[in-house]
Amino acid sequence: MNRSGERIMKRVTSFVILVLCLGMMSAHAQKRYDELTFPELNEFQRPDVETFTLDNGIKFFLVEDDELPLIDLSVNIRTGGVLVPNEKAGLASITGSVIRSGGSVNYPADTLNQILENRAASMETGIGFTSGGASMNVLKEDFSELLPIFVDLLKHPALPQEKIDLEKKQVKSSISRRNDNQRQIGSREFERLIYGKNSVYGRLTEYETVNNITREDLVNFHANHFVGNNMMVGIVGDFDADQIKEQLTEAFSEIAPGSRTELNFPEIDYDYQSTINFIDKPDVNQSYVLMGHIGGLRSNPDYPKVQVMNEVLSGGFSGRLFQVVRTDMGLAYAVFGSYEMNTFYPGQFYTGVMTKSATTAEAIDAIIEQIKRLQNEPIKKQELSDIKDQFLNSMVFRYDSYEEVLSRRMSNEYRELPEDAFEKFIEGVRSTTIKDVQQMAQKYMKPDSMQILVVGNKEEIGDQLQKYGNVNEIDISIPQPGQEKAQEEVAGDATKGRALLDKMANALIAPEQKLDSISIEAEVTQFGSNIPGGSMSLQVSQNIDYPDAIKQTVQTPNGTITLNYEGGQGTMSMMGQERPLPPQQAKSLKESLNRKYLAVAKQNGELKPQFIGMEEFEGSQYAKVSININDKNITYLIDPNTGYPRVMRYQQFNPQQGSQVQVEERYSDWQTVDGVSYAYQEITFSEGEKAAESVIKSHEVN
Amino acid sequence: MKFKSLFFTVSLVLLFLASGFQAEAQSLEDFEEKVTEFTLDNGLTFLVIERPIAPVVSFVTYVDVGGANEPVGHTGIAHIFEHMAFKGTQYIGTNNWKKEKKALDKLDQAYQMWLEEKYSPNPDSTQLSKLWENFQQQQEEAKQYVVNNEFSQIIERNGGTGLNAGTGADQTVYFYSLPENRTELWFSLESDRFKNPVFREFYVEKEVVREERRMRTESSPIGRLVEEFLSVAYTAHPYGRPVVGWDSDITATTMEDAREFYNTYYVPNNITIAIAGDVNPDNIKNLAKTYFGGLKEGPEPPPVYTKEPEQRGERRFEMVEQNQPIYLMGYHTVPQDHPDFEALQLLGSVISGGRTSRLYKRMVEEEQTALQVSAFNGFPGTKFETMFMTLAVPNRGVSIDTVETTIYEEIEKIKDGDITQEELERAKTNARAGLIRSLDSNSGLARAFASAEAQKGDWRSVFTDLEDLQQVTLDDLQRVAETYFTQDNRTVGIIKNAEETQEVADANQ
Repeated sequence: MNRSGERIMKRVTSFVILVLCLGMMSAHAQKRYDELTFPELNEFQRPDVETFTLDNGIKFFLVEDDELPLIDLSVNIRTGGVLVPNEKAGLASITGSVIRSGGSVNYPADTLNQILENRAASMETGIGFTSGGASMNVLKEDFSELLPIFVDLLKHPALPQEKIDLEKKQVKSSISRRNDNQRQIGSREFERLIYGKNSVYGRLTEYETVNNITREDLVNFHANHFVGNNMMVGIVGDFDADQIKEQLTEAFSEIAPGSRTELNFPEIDYDYQSTINFIDKPDVNQSYVLMGHIGGLRSNPDYPKVQVMNEVLSGGFSGRLFQVVRTDMGLAYAVFGSYEMNTFYPGQFYTGVMTKSATTAEAIDAIIEQIKRLQNEPIKKQELSDIKDQFLNSMVFRYDSYEEVLSRRMSNEYRELPEDAFEKFIEGVRSTTIKDVQQMAQKYMKPDSMQILVVGNKEEIGDQLQKYGNVNEIDISIPQPGQEKAQEEVAGDATKGRALLDKMANALIAPEQKLDSISIEAEVTQFGSNIPGGSMSLQVSQNIDYPDAIKQTVQTPNGTITLNYEGGQGTMSMMGQERPLPPQQAKSLKESLNRKYLAVAKQNGELKPQFIGMEEFEGSQYAKVSININDKNITYLIDPNTGYPRVMRYQQFNPQQGSQVQVEERYSDWQTVDGVSYAYQEITFSEGEKAAESVIKSHEVN
Repeated sequence: MKFKSLFFTVSLVLLFLASGFQAEAQSLEDFEEKVTEFTLDNGLTFLVIERPIAPVVSFVTYVDVGGANEPVGHTGIAHIFEHMAFKGTQYIGTNNWKKEKKALDKLDQAYQMWLEEKYSPNPDSTQLSKLWENFQQQQEEAKQYVVNNEFSQIIERNGGTGLNAGTGADQTVYFYSLPENRTELWFSLESDRFKNPVFREFYVEKEVVREERRMRTESSPIGRLVEEFLSVAYTAHPYGRPVVGWDSDITATTMEDAREFYNTYYVPNNITIAIAGDVNPDNIKNLAKTYFGGLKEGPEPPPVYTKEPEQRGERRFEMVEQNQPIYLMGYHTVPQDHPDFEALQLLGSVISGGRTSRLYKRMVEEEQTALQVSAFNGFPGTKFETMFMTLAVPNRGVSIDTVETTIYEEIEKIKDGDITQEELERAKTNARAGLIRSLDSNSGLARAFASAEAQKGDWRSVFTDLEDLQQVTLDDLQRVAETYFTQDNRTVGIIKNAEETQEVADANQ
């Protein structure tokens, strides 16, 4: 039936109901919910989905809908992040973004953006873990003009280097922010517990994997997957099917057939275990708890029964978790759960809650109790019938719009589910018994082998978690590229190296002098684009108590900052507020202390310097010595005559750039006090850019 | 996961709808045919939108009360009441209303006694714990009559979907959808819950609300920033207070307070109901009379008297946090019925709507200083003097100052008349398309029309307001920028990263 015919029928039906209602009206009085009887549901003619396939393999799905003057087109592409190796994690999503953001060869980004936004149209592309997609939403009068541009974008994306770099930069910025949000941390780390952190399902996009991605990778990824045999196109809106078929055929025939991508999802060999895991987030007062284990597959014949079971446990306002943990106990606003059964690989079974730190264990116990109850007691008859009613009565909403009819059809097709998969599911729900639910609970949930993850405030939570086992604290610090690899010692002339370093040590600390501590006063000027006005001068007092303690006071425009470090840890205070020094910071402080010339001179005997040649620097010749300190290679340029170091070089991770940078310190203006020499001018360069200059006013020994 | 969503305010879609977009005249004519409007004798207004696409109906109850109407000392009460509206009625959710009512009265008395002692000049700790024990005992007593979540369960087992409600600074909205043959069920349930509210499980639910506050505000960096921002930006007007309420106010709120709030604001002339889908207007009218005719009339709720005084100088604050930096800035502007409102809406679109917008192009694409930037008019509400907000998330290694300087430079350009006709036309076109796209669902239509009817007195304003928008000129944009975007009228809130703050200190190590 066509649309207008259907509408007429609707009106007729409504009219019949109206007459019936008017007939009853005289007797109409308020009724309580349990006194109402409901008439038959008005008939719903699901719209037809018309399909056709082109020679290049693209399958089309058409649904006419003339309610609004719009046309929506969506393309489903067989590809996904699952195809990407771990060392290039992030490639699929970056490709998905840059196809759109970079524009096409014929319509570069700026041109494309203007064309679209002048017409209030949109085109978007993206690639997820199990599929890729592209969409175009336009006013119907713009369709003919924009369709060829859309196809051109899919076929010939420009993938310009500058847009790739921009996207990589944005992805890195997101990585740097990924530990800011408690819920994001929780669901990410729980997934890694279930699937393994190095598996394709649990691995993360890191600075290093982003650095590994090249334009060539994007070009190939696009070329291999954006082909006809991987594509389905759905279109819904105000059009005439016959006419649009011609347009679609003409436009999409341009796309090469290519070969069909096979998505291989690695097997998961899940080892059921009971674990308790914790991530400290001192800036929250609520614990985010996730607990569960591996879930299942959509193809499992028990799928409908398991979903009924999950509904009893965690479904909506009626689920037991909501009833008990939220309504009865008042322990949470958010309490939830899901038994995921995915099409392509096993999902997760999880339950979760957000509760104040003090009631973390109470909420965990309440959830476990509800899971066990489902295994130990049959559910009530009423519960089962309520859930069945809920599924059956809400079915009509599954197809309550043309867009929905289309997208469900395409999704089934992509997942290779039969067209009547949903009807089969409903049949399964209908036939589920009380006994089934209990059996499912016993078979598919293992409350004694769950992994529990808590993201919360350690100080407030205290020892509540100990009773669940040995608490595994998960380190979520963001890995820096190259950070974990210890640098190999550089090969060179060890004898010459020893002689040079001895000379340097003697020049810096007179042989009869013992250096235990040193205090300096300095004015430090910092340079950089992220400093307001380009530079900033600070008054710094520093005391180093060898081998491993620093006290430092810095006068800044915002007040005084005091830093206290000793033996691997420390604190920082600013405006009366004291904070612990993050481990990363403490580590880098220790390294900077150890590589400095005075510390090197002190440790001289324990180091293995290697002479690696001469180097000219600012017109003079210096001896180049490499020393491995804290697994990093430090290079000193030593004046062969005086023994004073002129330059020191090392690599350091710059969190702002997300990469290793080359740092160079230049020393001059040597002054000696009590046999200990100090460079009164020190200039620091980072990647060749001047980053800081220190002018020392005084130094004091011991 | 089902949440009752608290904040509409950031939802741009709703803001756009509130201001409305110019659609083709034809659209309004189309809707004139499909919309039936009537008001019952008690003042309750209904909008019926016929959309017989599928046999389903969406229902929206829009109450013209929000955080801005709350009495001092009871912030969060509009939201607490919203939670209570899911607790059932005298018939639903109880196994013995008569006994339960007595128990609830005693429960509230017990709480009030504890509260009184707690806030007395010299609270006696022994007495306090005795009173608390008594209160807990009464709570147990009342609990035995409760049939847990029965109200929501009836809706769910009848196939109800999208069951939820939200409280904003301006409004409280209740909504869900049912199969069309269950339309009368909605009338039965909705009239019952608003005619005879019970304050069942009141004190346990306040703990749920407190967890909601912890989740949305206290444990969320952006939540903390926004709460702080509003309390700095507004010194007098209630827009400065959190809709979820201050923790101590949640403690201080009793069932009696909630009932008084209900009596004052949940009167028929303060409520608008919109019903969209496969419905017959005559049938709806009859049902409306039958079920809502008995809702008692009440006096017009009191207005909000306080106006935000003119700001005398820039306000700034910084929060040093563990998370990465965020910049939030706002200028005080005007309520939605002010003639400058439309120009301000369009400015938001020109500044940050889409990839061709000024801030996106410069900060995200060209200079690459921001991961994300957005600007819009209409936070935290639009009924009263609102704010034009800009939120920027800097890229790694970019200082807040850089981001801030760029934003001010772009604002100065607008004041200098730098916007082109093309940009303005683009913003208007996108507004128009935005409206059309929003008209394709029952729930979207019902919400947009109910809101327009309640706030502006006519659902047609969704369309007609937009003739004003169409009239906005480049001069208007320049003029409103000059008028409102001044340093004295500005509030800036910043999250700084604790580690970075420290890095500056030891960069020279």
